[in-house]
Amino acid sequence: MRRSRRQPGALALALALLLATATQAEPMRRFALVIGNDEGGSDTRPLRYAREDARKMHGLLARLGGVSPADSLLLLNEEAQDVLAALTNLEAQAQAARARGERTALLIYYSGHAKDGALRLGDTRLAFDALKRRLADAPADIRIAILDSCRSGALTRTKGARRAPAFAIDSGATRDAKGLVILTSSSADEDSQESDSLGGSYFSHHLTSGLLGDADRSGDGRVTLFEAYSHAYARTVADTAASSAGPQHPTFSYDLAGNGDLVLTDLRASEGLVVPRSAPPGAYYFVDPGGLVVAELDKAPDLERRVALAPGTYRVKRRLEDRLRIGEVEVRRGQETVLEETRLRDAPFSDDPVKGGRARGSFWTVGMTAGFHSFFDRTVRQSLFLSVPLVGAEANLHDYFREDWVWSFDVALGGRSSRLNLETLEGASYQYSVVSLGTSLTTEWRLGDLSPFAGARLTYLYMGRKFDGGAFPDQYYATFSPGLVAGLRYRLLRRLHLTGRGRLHYLTYNVHEQGTENPNSSLGYWELAALVTYEL
Amino acid sequence: MRRTLWPALLGLLTACGGNFSNEDLEYLNALPTREALASKLPDSSASSVGGLRQRADQLSVGDPSSLYLDTRKASAEFNSALDGLLTLLENIRTVPPTTREPGRRTWGPWPDRNQPGHDVRFVMDRQGAFFAYSLQFKPSKDGDDAWWSFLEGSFKADAGIRKGEGELHLFVDDAVAKGINVGGLRGLTQLDVGYQNKALPSRVEMIFTAPPPSATPELRYTYRELPGGFGEMRFLVKSTDAVPGGLLEDVEITSRWTPDRGGVGTFVILEGDLKGASYRECWNAEGRVSFAKKSWELFGIGLASDCPDVSGFEE
Repeated sequence: MRRSRRQPGALALALALLLATATQAEPMRRFALVIGNDEGGSDTRPLRYAREDARKMHGLLARLGGVSPADSLLLLNEEAQDVLAALTNLEAQAQAARARGERTALLIYYSGHAKDGALRLGDTRLAFDALKRRLADAPADIRIAILDSCRSGALTRTKGARRAPAFAIDSGATRDAKGLVILTSSSADEDSQESDSLGGSYFSHHLTSGLLGDADRSGDGRVTLFEAYSHAYARTVADTAASSAGPQHPTFSYDLAGNGDLVLTDLRASEGLVVPRSAPPGAYYFVDPGGLVVAELDKAPDLERRVALAPGTYRVKRRLEDRLRIGEVEVRRGQETVLEETRLRDAPFSDDPVKGGRARGSFWTVGMTAGFHSFFDRTVRQSLFLSVPLVGAEANLHDYFREDWVWSFDVALGGRSSRLNLETLEGASYQYSVVSLGTSLTTEWRLGDLSPFAGARLTYLYMGRKFDGGAFPDQYYATFSPGLVAGLRYRLLRRLHLTGRGRLHYLTYNVHEQGTENPNSSLGYWELAALVTYEL
Repeated sequence: MRRTLWPALLGLLTACGGNFSNEDLEYLNALPTREALASKLPDSSASSVGGLRQRADQLSVGDPSSLYLDTRKASAEFNSALDGLLTLLENIRTVPPTTREPGRRTWGPWPDRNQPGHDVRFVMDRQGAFFAYSLQFKPSKDGDDAWWSFLEGSFKADAGIRKGEGELHLFVDDAVAKGINVGGLRGLTQLDVGYQNKALPSRVEMIFTAPPPSATPELRYTYRELPGGFGEMRFLVKSTDAVPGGLLEDVEITSRWTPDRGGVGTFVILEGDLKGASYRECWNAEGRVSFAKKSWELFGIGLASDCPDVSGFEE
């Protein structure tokens, strides 16, 4: 811990030296391979935000990092061979650019599992050594690897890289830097942690927040690689210090020749948010409509800062000792928006725009169902309780009792017309209807986009029939029915899920003649349904 | 939330159970309904004109048909009696059986609010497609041996909705003797109904039995029906001045009607002047005479070809 804290200090020195030469750098063609994978194989728990982190980084590099869409690839939940193939593709492009005399940079960002000296890409593995060799040989002037994964620091211990703070800068040189830089989110024996309140991993969140402007301590409107790293390091350690998993220490290593820092993002574009010199100093938070902090800013007195927020509406929070200052700001496309202090108002801590619920890990999904309901007994389903299609709605509370548990509430309606066909009575037509009110408690296993689940449920089942023309009195039967449920949920889009599920239910039917051996009949029924849910 | 959750759960618990039963429907199917048994005589503008009158007085085509008017009156009396009888069964259909035993359903017993001091129950027994039922009373203070039947009925089902053959018997004199208020049925000894609708034409026969010295110890109505609105009513009219002479006549009237083209009525004099003579009268859709002929006259009025075809009822 103590050793790690010295690391940013050394980097700050390096940063100051590098910034002196940064402006002398030639234009650089940038290539980016951004990888996100929630799955790490059978011996790992699926991650929640690895792909989301990758999406954010991919978007940020395209918007602010000077990476053109043609020069970047985003791989989500792909396997090792796909990563290597994509890397080959980018290497070929970089080789071609070099042949034209362009300076080139190749950046690989990975968010996902790593274990036993290898990146875990689903059930496939990509060894650190192999990746390292591949990067070392890549035909680009600068190769940057940013790994946000558990024990990723092992990569910086491998041969061929020196670990900061043993970072020497030849301040007198003017040659452009060439070589390999590796950033990892944790050390060789640490887990990388995700945060529900941030909607991503701590490291990637602070890295992207820093690239959006918070890391630009110099206030020159550009965030360099070293600025971004030192910012992400300090904030990640601080945020994870009190976590149950313990503090997480990002690492940095390099193998560079020449010098000159690499500007990762340029905030001087014509759009984004400007926090003017006159704005009060302190910690600013920019919150998206979903309640997630997308960027932070630690503003110093009398210094103008920029936050390169994407166009959209954000709530701004500035934290004081006894209260919050909150307000709303709209960042317009192609325009520079100035944050005016007068647009903020005092608010108690209870009005914090950052969602508290997600910090606990629970969230809701709501959806619509369509399915079919039928009793097992042929006589029952043909003449008593008929097989019917069902439509319904349901709400699911995820991760409320514990992680991966889902508490569901559902209602479904169904019905059809039929005719009696009894021993002494035929032809009476009627409308049969079913109403089901249920609650389920299931546990699910997240395997990337697929989540099988199983659990128990209790339904209040109402079945009735109404005879045409009032030929006979209306009849109904209502009872509680315990059951089992199992199915498969597939994440179609980020917030849209498609689910297929089956249910088995038991009920007691007691409208029977007394004096018979078994006055209660045990009946069972099944339901199959498809469900579309939206995550709130 | 707790304040609303627990009452809601308690409400659901109390809403458990029900009356969903195919067997119960078969029992209920054995009970006749007024719709199935009632006489259905088409209305007409002549129904409000006049009433019984001597049929021999200068009748001419276009006059209101007295036989049609008699038929309307008989139909109303028939339906009124059925109403009184079937009302006793209507209530049974509104509530599920109190007990369900093999081959038996029982509603009640309950204290009868309309008969203070008496308990009432309704019992139905089933053997295959044959159902027997009875509406029973007993003094509230007495034991189970004291149950007696005010109404007894049976039904042999032939599939279909209330299709089959059945009968009902209302023991009015027993009820009066046991202190039951029988309302408008007082003055009768017994009311019997027999019916079948498994084959065409469907038939309902109602017999009113009165104690002596009633002038009509037995009054019988027979109603038959064919699909499409064709009907027939056979009934007895006592002590009417049907033909000229010094005596009043007892006549048996048989009326047959169509849904929209009038009907044909005949009467036969059973007692009185011209005993054994008969009379035939046809009426149009407005209930007015289109043809009439007495058996003792050579010519009638109107054209016999104007009479509607009701041959579907011929035996």
